[in-house]
Amino acid sequence: MSTILEQGAGASIEALDRAWETPETFAFLPARSSIDAAWAEKVLRALPDHLRQDHFALLTSGSTGRPKLVIGARSRAERLAKALHAAQNNEAAARAVVALPLSYSFAFVNQWVWATVHERKLIPTEGFRDPAALRQALVDARDAMLCLVGVQAPLLAAAFEGEVFNGVIRLHFAGGRFPQEQLPTLRQLFPRASITNNYGCAEAMPRLTVRSAEANELSANVGRPLPGIELSADDTQLLRFRSVYGAVAVFEGGRLREIGTEDWVPTGDLAEQEDDGTWRLLGRTGEVFKRHGEKVSTAQMLETVGQTWTAEAATYPDEDRSGEPGYVLVLAPAPDQVGVRTLLRVIRSRHARAQWPLRIEGRETLPRLANGKVDAAALSAEEGPVLWDQRT
Amino acid sequence: MAAREKLNDLLMDVFLLDDGELGDELRRADLDTWDSLGTVSLAVGVEEVFGYHMTPEEATGLESVGGLVALLRTKGIEIE
Repeated sequence: MSTILEQGAGASIEALDRAWETPETFAFLPARSSIDAAWAEKVLRALPDHLRQDHFALLTSGSTGRPKLVIGARSRAERLAKALHAAQNNEAAARAVVALPLSYSFAFVNQWVWATVHERKLIPTEGFRDPAALRQALVDARDAMLCLVGVQAPLLAAAFEGEVFNGVIRLHFAGGRFPQEQLPTLRQLFPRASITNNYGCAEAMPRLTVRSAEANELSANVGRPLPGIELSADDTQLLRFRSVYGAVAVFEGGRLREIGTEDWVPTGDLAEQEDDGTWRLLGRTGEVFKRHGEKVSTAQMLETVGQTWTAEAATYPDEDRSGEPGYVLVLAPAPDQVGVRTLLRVIRSRHARAQWPLRIEGRETLPRLANGKVDAAALSAEEGPVLWDQRT
Repeated sequence: MAAREKLNDLLMDVFLLDDGELGDELRRADLDTWDSLGTVSLAVGVEEVFGYHMTPEEATGLESVGGLVALLRTKGIEIE
């Protein structure tokens, strides 16, 4: 049993290559993690015999901040990489520019495992921690794939405005809201790239669905499940999956929970299936609620916000003066009053007052976890200027 | 800031109005955003901006912006 701490993409690739060649199960942890390696090693040592070899473990702190060690089977990850390869015609991509931490399950499977299985080359970068190096890697790229999380789309637009990267032919997004409204900018930056919305979760290790950017106008539409994966929603619209590629066990809250291929696993998202068979996300379980009898989906509200606001936006839950649940909309960077008014007009035209945010706050930037997702705990703890207040 | 300007800002904030929609003749019945929650927001806003705490009867009894101006006048708050 061993634990690998992510230490820059180049060093991590070498360490992973070695670990994958040895049978014993290993854990691959982000460098900036509140979980120390000793804790992960203790969990690994306590694994039952059948999980002690040919598996790997990734840490997901998730947007909730509660750490989980998700254990996957190497054979399943390799099968998923092959399935993705076939489903997305990725054979055209000969290499991948790594701009996400590889300890993030999306990047781990979609880039490192994919490159290992298909003997493709990885081009390590430090992502937006070193934009100049990332830019050079994109300039030098030939027939390359690039995997990002949705929130990085505005960063791309800001960092590389006016540039064209013809060498990138596949652009994948996962991890939160798909940046549908950024597509014109993304197409200018990557005119030869097919752009794909990927959806999944760490327990899915990590992919569930896929759709091309052009297939739907709604960012919340995540397309159809990959072959080998089933999706269903229960009475409360909680989205669940069964997957031949998914994690085999999860260690959380001091307990190991094994997952069989026949088990339905909750994703933590609420969703509806459209008439055409695709799935539309409504938000995380805590992001859909009733306020004064009116159903509020913060995912749908962010969809509306995205119609006029193309920089960063996120929400966090709060209550109004009467204790009724609501949410606060956070924009970064903070718009001026004209921008706030424009946004409010759009919200007014599409949503009942009960669905409006309690407040709109500004931030210089949104707090992020290492995997690029918004840090929900830090978002609500931070203070920023109140740009508008509903006064309820 | 003049009282009228403060009132206009408040109304724009609470009911998400544009400049052109403002005026004493603006009626509750004409505004989809002047619902029960809007009434609560208006009452909270009037207290924040003008320091006057409306009773529930006063808040729910308002039918127009002109009615609010008249109410505030009776409380010694002149909106020019």
